[in-house]
Amino acid sequence: MTPTLESAIVRERRIKLLFFIAAILVLLFSLYKVDNLLISMLLAVVNFYILSPAVDFLERKGFSRQWSTTVPFLVLILFLAILVQFFFPILLEQFKSLQVDLPKYTEISTAFFTNVELKISSVLKDIYPVELGGKIQTQLVNFATTFFQKMPDYISQSLIVLFLAPFLTYFMLLDGRDFVRKLLTLVPNNFFELALNLNHQIGFQMGGFIRARILESVIVSALIWTGLLIMGFPYALSLSLFAGILNIVPYLGPVIGLAPALLIGFANGGGSTELMWILIIYFGAQLVDTVLIVPFVVAKIVDLHPVTVVLAVIVGSQLMGVLGMIISIPLFSILKVSTIAIYKHLTDFRA
Amino acid sequence: MADFMWENLFSKEAGKHTTYMALKKNILFSGLNPRELKLVEKIVNVRRYRPSEPIFKQGEVGVGMYIIVDGAVNISVEELDTTSSETRTHHVIQLKAGEFFGELALVENNGRRSASASSQEETTVIGFFKPDLIEIIDRNPTAGVKILMMLGEVLGIRLRETTSRITEMKKEHRR
Repeated sequence: MTPTLESAIVRERRIKLLFFIAAILVLLFSLYKVDNLLISMLLAVVNFYILSPAVDFLERKGFSRQWSTTVPFLVLILFLAILVQFFFPILLEQFKSLQVDLPKYTEISTAFFTNVELKISSVLKDIYPVELGGKIQTQLVNFATTFFQKMPDYISQSLIVLFLAPFLTYFMLLDGRDFVRKLLTLVPNNFFELALNLNHQIGFQMGGFIRARILESVIVSALIWTGLLIMGFPYALSLSLFAGILNIVPYLGPVIGLAPALLIGFANGGGSTELMWILIIYFGAQLVDTVLIVPFVVAKIVDLHPVTVVLAVIVGSQLMGVLGMIISIPLFSILKVSTIAIYKHLTDFRA
Repeated sequence: MADFMWENLFSKEAGKHTTYMALKKNILFSGLNPRELKLVEKIVNVRRYRPSEPIFKQGEVGVGMYIIVDGAVNISVEELDTTSSETRTHHVIQLKAGEFFGELALVENNGRRSASASSQEETTVIGFFKPDLIEIIDRNPTAGVKILMMLGEVLGIRLRETTSRITEMKKEHRR
């Protein structure tokens, strides 16, 4: 190869790579900057991975891609509409009741923590000053005020997300692969096989991970809801949904999910038996999750060390709060898969 | 002038047509009906290479095969000379439009390329990779099975050729 030709090829590859990276950055920047786009896109990705097996199944049966996409999509919308119709009035009622009861819970929990603070202070005396009650009261009041004040904003944002997420889901199912294929045409020739394989590996891993996590959340939510309903515990639905969503966050999620139930149980003057039953329900749900689902489904999909998982969750929470905690593990596994593949391609390509 | 106009107006369609025809002529996709072939056409990747540009290098992890649509591809092998400890490049074969290479990577798991491939001139190839094959199997298993059957046949032919060459070499060695 002549030096002129070689430099022309290198130049062309660099330009292609630059355009590819620019396209990715523009996409990421839009997700970060445009209101509600990130959350809508995340929901769309989740819906995409839930529906894609059904879409592929229908296509295998001989239906066109358009019909194979439209039918499961409409079924999901119908299913969600029925769920909303059934659960939304209960949730609304529980939210109204919670808004009324919250000052009571704040007061009782503050009193409890002040009591704990006094006991700890009597032991530690002047060695380490402890101030629990005041801090927790401020945090709770701040949270309650902000949450209920911002409720109209949350609802209006939810409406945008409710419109945008299904719209994105539909087109991801219909044309998503073509879009990725078009994006991959920008990859220079020397990285093309790597990029294509990486895209496949990430898609495969994410699909399994998201489906497994959703299954876990649904099972944990259903078990907690059933348990709390049998106990006749207030806010059973809201608490179980909260616990189910937070269950996506490894290790820390189940603990945070349990806290409000214990707080409400304690504030309502529930005795040690009631608190024990709450613990049994939550731990029982976790046990089912840990023994039956995690070893067979999740562990096989994302091979991350527990310390790495905790660190990723902490970094996620620092950067993006609760959302960061939820998306930290899939993002970290994408990073892991990509780094290993790129490293192997760059360094280990000689037999 | 008129030719030039037509060429420009329909260049995109012409490209599509070329890909479709190249797939149709290839032994791997010869058993597919037009609908299945259209699906494959949507999935495969058309790549263009400058003269002397490497397509893949010996030792790299291979992901799939290439069908030459236009141009020519040189296949070469680098060998380590044990006496001088230097690597020597042996030109193996030049492949022309319609021929294909690298199909072993479709069935291997993280298999390494046994030779290097680079374009001789401006070359257009169709890249058909393992993720593409998996997508076809997911979306249209009948087409997937047909491709796999033909792939088995191709690999069988290659194995038979290799075996007969080894037998010939052994015979020559004995003489």
